[in-house]
Amino acid sequence: MNEFVLFVRSTALSEWVRTAPWTWPALEIVHFVGMCLLLGVIGLLDVRLLGFLRSIEVSSLRKLLPFGLLGFLFSLISGVLFFVGAPDQYVRNPAFFAKVVFLLLAGLNAAYFETHSGERAIVTGHIEEAPTSFKVAGAISLFSWLMVLYWGRMLPFIGNAF
Amino acid sequence: MPGTGTSIADAEVMSEWLAALENTGFATWLRESGSIWAYPTVLTLHTAGMVMLVGMNWTLDLRILGVAPGVPLRSLDTLFRAMWIGFWINFVTGVMLFAADATTKGSTSLFMLKLGLVVLAVLASVLMRRSINRPEAPSRSIPVGARVYASVSLALWVAAIAAGRMMAYV
Repeated sequence: MNEFVLFVRSTALSEWVRTAPWTWPALEIVHFVGMCLLLGVIGLLDVRLLGFLRSIEVSSLRKLLPFGLLGFLFSLISGVLFFVGAPDQYVRNPAFFAKVVFLLLAGLNAAYFETHSGERAIVTGHIEEAPTSFKVAGAISLFSWLMVLYWGRMLPFIGNAF
Repeated sequence: MPGTGTSIADAEVMSEWLAALENTGFATWLRESGSIWAYPTVLTLHTAGMVMLVGMNWTLDLRILGVAPGVPLRSLDTLFRAMWIGFWINFVTGVMLFAADATTKGSTSLFMLKLGLVVLAVLASVLMRRSINRPEAPSRSIPVGARVYASVSLALWVAAIAAGRMMAYV
């Protein structure tokens, strides 16, 4: 184990996550609830950006975004605590590496969309054909989040087992 | 106590049936092959199905509870269909995962609790849909009953997820 792993494991927070009897299962519940909320909202918005569900305005769907963000925070905080609790399970795990790469891709895609096309989504009403930039953003987002889910699920099966 | 003898016999028949299910070629392959296409893939599909089922149900609940009022009620039928696709994905993958572990899961009260919570959550959503689809329901406002069903299904899914996660620890 390298020094970083040893340091993280030596913290009081790490000890608490690892040894308190219900922390790990409780964090898993929070992680899964957050995932359903996040992917439910984001997935629906992505499908809309791809050009489906045209009877729903993009701007109306965006009202759900704060709840998607809430779900993201649930999963992010519980996820960080998993890492702090057992860093040795993650640092050399290729599935974890892939999960983080797709998380970053999803985040960068969302940041780009919000700063370049998001404003347009607010004024876009019943558009006949979704602009290509919307479709690309929706496709990248949907694919990245599914990959985050896939590699997260693969964590115990690839690399060092839990 | 009358009936006890029968229920013991029933329990024996049940556990034999569960053992037979667990020993089928498919269940054994799922559990023991070590192939990435066996248990890990079915479990991943079960997770993706959950996201579709619960995620769609929660967005529907939020809409009914007054978030995103600009989403037309007529368009919600499509979201209900997506929710049902998630349900059937999880029904099929759930039966597979149960078969792989039938004797353990079939005798765990936590598993029964999870199934009960899922049934009640789905039922609450069906009732929610009915109460907004009634012809006499005003097209703009949402009946109080629908809001109650939305809150109930929202909470029941949290409980169902919790029960499902806890199965790995108890």
